[in-house]
Amino acid sequence: MSETKHILLRWKDVKADFRKLAEYRKHEGFEGLKKALAAKPEEVIDVVKNSGLRGRGGAGFPTGVKWSFIPKQEPIKYFVVNADESETGTFKDRLIMETNPYQLLEGLLIGAYAIGAHTAYIYLRGEFWDIAAQLDACIEEMRKEGLVGKNILGSGYDCEIYTHLGAGAYICGEETALLNSLEGKLGQPRVRPPFPANKGGGLYGEPTVVNNVETIANVPWIMTHGADAYKAIGTEQSAGTKLYCVSGHVKKPGVYELPFSATFRELLVDICGGPSVEGRSFKALLPSGGSGPIVPLNDKVLDTRMSYEDTAKIGTIIGSASLIVMDDSVDITWVASKVTKFFKHESCGKCTPCREGTYWLDKVIDRIMAGEGSERDITLIENVAKNMAGITLCALGEFAANPIIHTIKQFPDDFKQHVKKDGKAAKPVALPAAGD
Amino acid sequence: MAETKLVTITIDGKAYQVPAGSNLVDAAKWHADNDIPVFCYHPKMAPVGMCRMCVVELGMVEKDRATGEVIMENGQPKVRWMPKLQTACTQVATDGMVVRTDTDKVKAGRESVIEFLLTSHPLDCPICDKGGECPLQNLTMAHGNGVSRMNFADKLKLDKHVPLGDLIYLDEERCIQCARCIRFQDEIVGDDVLAFHERGRRLQIITKSDPGFDTYFSGNTTDICPVGALTTADFRFGARPWELTDVPSICPHDAAGTNISLSTRLDRDFGGRAMIKRVMPRQNEAVNEIWISDRTRFVHHFTRSDDRLQSPMVRRGERLSPTVWNEAIPALAEVLKAANGDVAVLAGGGASNEDLWELRQLLKGLGSERLGAWTTHSGAELLLEVGVGKGSNLGTLGKGDAILVVASDLEEEVPMWYLRVKQAQDRGAFLAVANHRPTRLAEIASQTERKVASQTERKPLVGKSVLYEAGKAAHWLNDLANSDPELYNTLKDAQNLVIIAGAEGLDWDGGRALMQAAANLLIAGGHVGKPNNGLMATLPEANGMGLQYLGYTTQNALDIIKNPPSVLITAQCDPLGDDPTAGSWMSKVNTLITLTLFPDDTTQRAAFALPVQSFAERDGTFINGERRVQRFYTAQGPMGDALPLWEIIARLRERLGQGRAKVSAAAVMLELSNHLPSFNGIRYKDLAQVERQYPDVGGKDLYYGGTAYQNKGGLGVQLPTTADNGSAPTTGTVNLPEVKQAKKGELLLIPTVRLYNRSHIMRPSALIANRVAKPFAALNNADAKKLGIKHGDRVEVRFNGGQATVTAQVSDSTPQGVVFVPRYLADTPTPMVITSASVVKVSDAVAVQ
Amino acid sequence: MAIIGNKKYQERINEHLAKYPDKRSAVMPLLYIAQEEYGWVNDEGIAEVAQLCDMDATQVKSIAGFYTMYSEKPKGKYWLQVCTDLACALRGADELHHELLHELGIEEGGTTEDGMFTAEHVMCLAGCDRAPMLQCNFHFVEAVGGLTMAHLRELIAAARQDDKTLQKLIAKWRDEVNKQVQQS
Ligand SMILES: Cc1cc2nc3c(=O)[nH]c(=O)nc-3n(C[C@H](O)[C@H](O)[C@H](O)COP(=O)(O)O)c2cc1C
Ligand code: SF4
Ligand code: FES
Repeated sequence: MSETKHILLRWKDVKADFRKLAEYRKHEGFEGLKKALAAKPEEVIDVVKNSGLRGRGGAGFPTGVKWSFIPKQEPIKYFVVNADESETGTFKDRLIMETNPYQLLEGLLIGAYAIGAHTAYIYLRGEFWDIAAQLDACIEEMRKEGLVGKNILGSGYDCEIYTHLGAGAYICGEETALLNSLEGKLGQPRVRPPFPANKGGGLYGEPTVVNNVETIANVPWIMTHGADAYKAIGTEQSAGTKLYCVSGHVKKPGVYELPFSATFRELLVDICGGPSVEGRSFKALLPSGGSGPIVPLNDKVLDTRMSYEDTAKIGTIIGSASLIVMDDSVDITWVASKVTKFFKHESCGKCTPCREGTYWLDKVIDRIMAGEGSERDITLIENVAKNMAGITLCALGEFAANPIIHTIKQFPDDFKQHVKKDGKAAKPVALPAAGD
Repeated sequence: MAETKLVTITIDGKAYQVPAGSNLVDAAKWHADNDIPVFCYHPKMAPVGMCRMCVVELGMVEKDRATGEVIMENGQPKVRWMPKLQTACTQVATDGMVVRTDTDKVKAGRESVIEFLLTSHPLDCPICDKGGECPLQNLTMAHGNGVSRMNFADKLKLDKHVPLGDLIYLDEERCIQCARCIRFQDEIVGDDVLAFHERGRRLQIITKSDPGFDTYFSGNTTDICPVGALTTADFRFGARPWELTDVPSICPHDAAGTNISLSTRLDRDFGGRAMIKRVMPRQNEAVNEIWISDRTRFVHHFTRSDDRLQSPMVRRGERLSPTVWNEAIPALAEVLKAANGDVAVLAGGGASNEDLWELRQLLKGLGSERLGAWTTHSGAELLLEVGVGKGSNLGTLGKGDAILVVASDLEEEVPMWYLRVKQAQDRGAFLAVANHRPTRLAEIASQTERKVASQTERKPLVGKSVLYEAGKAAHWLNDLANSDPELYNTLKDAQNLVIIAGAEGLDWDGGRALMQAAANLLIAGGHVGKPNNGLMATLPEANGMGLQYLGYTTQNALDIIKNPPSVLITAQCDPLGDDPTAGSWMSKVNTLITLTLFPDDTTQRAAFALPVQSFAERDGTFINGERRVQRFYTAQGPMGDALPLWEIIARLRERLGQGRAKVSAAAVMLELSNHLPSFNGIRYKDLAQVERQYPDVGGKDLYYGGTAYQNKGGLGVQLPTTADNGSAPTTGTVNLPEVKQAKKGELLLIPTVRLYNRSHIMRPSALIANRVAKPFAALNNADAKKLGIKHGDRVEVRFNGGQATVTAQVSDSTPQGVVFVPRYLADTPTPMVITSASVVKVSDAVAVQ
Repeated sequence: MAIIGNKKYQERINEHLAKYPDKRSAVMPLLYIAQEEYGWVNDEGIAEVAQLCDMDATQVKSIAGFYTMYSEKPKGKYWLQVCTDLACALRGADELHHELLHELGIEEGGTTEDGMFTAEHVMCLAGCDRAPMLQCNFHFVEAVGGLTMAHLRELIAAARQDDKTLQKLIAKWRDEVNKQVQQS
């Protein structure tokens, strides 16, 4: 794939070590920042808006639009980078930070400048402590060259960047939980509105932008090359390139940067070499880690472009592009149980449906897996999952419902093989009437 | 207060006008009589949207962007509905909001939340203290689907008896993780000693508080807990809520006049008589909202204590022997007749208005007007002129208003006021706290912001804490315009100003001077004769204000001390137990008659000791520090032969030929209010009036989580001040007393007040008795060094009239030259007012423990 | 033992406190320091962090309990965490985890008698392309082609020898992985 242009992994094209500030500067490094600082903040926001850049944290929200929500008149604002990267099967942000840290930091400064923030935090999952130390070192390098701190590049603009380590909680990837965690509170999501961009909703109550690492790492390139050049890559509604994390049953798992217009086949077959075990064939795909809907990995899916709009057409999402591939040796019930255990473990416990629902689903699936379930149990978990979706405080509840709902929909036989055919019904246990 | 804008919202097809920005759950309940079910939401705390029980369908009327006109569709406004159910508790009413609470989607949502909650709940209602008044029970009946699909074996097994401290127990299985208890401690009390531990389904309440969880308000968490997860060590397993009869009453301990319900039951443990099983808050938004302090809640055992005086006693030689009323009354009448008018009364703040009236009439009949108020506070008569205006409600003070608390450790004296003052500061009021030593409230006053874990924004706080020289409260306030013009002007120029005065470090002259200085400041700023402006004082016990209204004064008390009468009647006070110097003048009294709950120090010297009924056994009224006359009702069976104080006196008066004894407290009040113009002809039935209060505690949702909140006993009537009545008060001269000096080589002993102490009333409540501090005296480091005393040493404090052996607490927070001695901690009486004392080491710290 | 007044931590503590407008925000980094000092988050550590962050100890305990990287009970010198989440499990992580426990002779979450190793399984560690993977005292342990029991035996032996040998071994594997990444 020599013609593939890398934006996030540019060092691959120029064969340089971008972990060194000098090397990075030699190859367009901080050109975007210079351009941004020479422009008005609104103009920077417009460029990002026009580029069609969408959030890479999962939801795909237009980044420029998000920045434009920040009220100008508020004196204090914050910019926060989400480097929590805890979704099952996701390991792209880590690669950016390990191999191209300055591009992230440059993008962060551009974003902070655009919204008028003078303090920025990078929230990393606790396991990334060595990456945080590396970033801290990079920030100190930048300080020496006037790229961070007071009067950046003589522009009069000040900005400090700090890293902050999480400590093992997937929910802290959710932006409001992340903000709580950064404030030294329990990493539980907040009620919205107010949204982080609103006064009262962000970090310490101040208007705040939260963006994913990958999202931000795109920004310097966009500033340097212009919105149109970026928009020209990818598809109509999914501009630019994407880092795809491939794991599971392929020959060459890893992170690959491709334009959104690439298909699953190009990635999983051409690049990753197809199924890892000879004689096996693909069975299923989780395109967005544990949280997105599972799909059968058939020709139709393989020929789908890995964009926001195309994946929606096949009933799933590209989300964070964490492709977990399963071959035909895999029992999808087992997958559902694995993923359910993940969400049960990671539910923060704040809202009822998620706290109780993840626990309950796990219990019933365990029973089914143990061969003690009945067909009614399948109906039960499907119903419980549906009851959770749409009523929880944050999207984790929805994520937790997905593996059940979509496994039952896409792979009904996998579930049925575990339950007794004669349908030994689990007797409903009557509640004692309250008060007696 | 600014007019609130009204907006139109539609609930289930009907339009309502509600104040803009009001919480949707509250608005639906108040305006549309629609009980949106809630668990985590509590109208006194910020919403958190955790339990998801309150889901509704929510939409907005669509408006044309250009014209602002409502877009119509088939003759109806077009509504843009949100695709998902929304939590009502996190919504505020905005114009054009459309809500549906009765659709299948909403029903399904509620049903599933109930089902989720019950999957983990132990369903042990039959043995649960909350059973019968449990929101989870009620809402399950109303919104649940009636069957469980959860395999019972899958339930989580957790610890059911976790003591969070000595007072409160947690049942981990019952907890539904609503965080109300955590938020109460954090937001309302400002003492965030509860939190969640772990996450997901393992989320549990913990405390690392040392000692365990027992803030002065901890019991409230058991009321607002929407399930039976939190229970008090006092009531746990004590009774079933449906066996209980709730009797409206008033907390007898301090000037707040906290409205309470005494939950009673005919009990075997009390000879089949009605017995108090627990004390619960009774909603009175102007007084205590729905909160009570732990003292109010847990100190009720004294009413049934075997130590109480249970029959009239008469002295025969050295010994007091029991007698019967029919013998005691004639004997008393003889004594009083023989006194030839040389008779006086000293009354404490525990006596009701009815009691005080009968006593006053008795003395009048005998030709005496010597009515003394036995209290540490003086100058309280000013409260009748410049007390807080009629219609005051500390709960409405906020931005632009100011509160000054001076010479008081409010948390220890009147915890309810402490709570309300803190809340006022949270709402933006300026809080100034002045004292000669640091207190908790002073710490709060000097904070610049309040952070609450459940809220994102940090509230900026305004306030100031001032330390003045010991004993110089009145001097400080009188000179404030000169010494600190900024603070003086902040107070004077505030929109509303309330001053709360204590008496710490003052004698009666000093107290009077402080009250006058406070009155002058209020008058100077025009802060009199209108709501939320004026003076309050931390008068001890529940009826310090009643003493004033009925003409019992500290001047008279001083006169009685100076010229002791031949016959002295002490009414619910214990001069010999309170004041080590009382013995010297008391010995000049020929006949001492005491009306008392307990055999106390005064009883030991009395010729007659007459048992009175406690507030729980009888009807009556108290007047709180905000001059609200409030009724309490008979709740508990009587102890022994004790009678209501007023009734004893009424019988005595009948014997003395002063007219037929009244048959009821109501009749006494009738006579009283007919005679005393300040009572405006108040009748008992006026005091029993209740109007709908916001927020509304009624309804099938058991909004707050308890049934006992409902106020069925009346909101009381606030008496107007003379300023309210239009007579403009004028500033008076502040007669600054000379500040007491310690004798050479001695320290100035300043008595302080502790919420929990070893008084007769506290002792029988075991839970509280365990929480009483060991007797101590607080000294400054430098003074201690000079005296060769180390922290923790046993010391003897010697003063005029006695001495007390206590533990030395040495720190920098005690000013130099001063020793603080909390009252009612030591075994022997300690001084009531500021005095000189020597402190001498007795033994080393090691010997103590 | 203490973190307050301990020269070793003074600078780091101050740095963390200076990062944020509110001391409370430093609770997480300071809990790591407490864990470093005491080996786990004990009551002393909680009290010290509470003091430093101007919080009630209850709130600090609450934070320690919420996040899985703080250990609220004593653990072994080496804290081995095998990722058994879906992506790793597809490549044999569950089996590897069980073998590891068996090799060490402990139960899930247990500690070996000599106090050397605590082992447990954890959720996704963001290293799924090198599955199955493991974390040793929060150092990613990755090997080309994924970890095998042979690797783990080597790792245990190295650790039993001394810490340097162990670190060298982990670094060697890591270098191999990095080389592979740079080449791809
Ligand atoms: C349960 C949950 C976990 C999430 N985890 C992450 C994460 O690890 N990293 C991330 O960037 N976004 C994560 N998100 C999305 C964030 O909430 C947020 O949308 C994102 O950081 C915004 O950045 P973007 O606009 O650049 O995508 C998560 C969301 C949810 C609901
Ligand atoms: S103990 Fe009660 S009030 Fe506290 S969280 Fe649990 S259910 Fe809510
Ligand atoms: S979520 Fe609204 S009451 Fe709990």
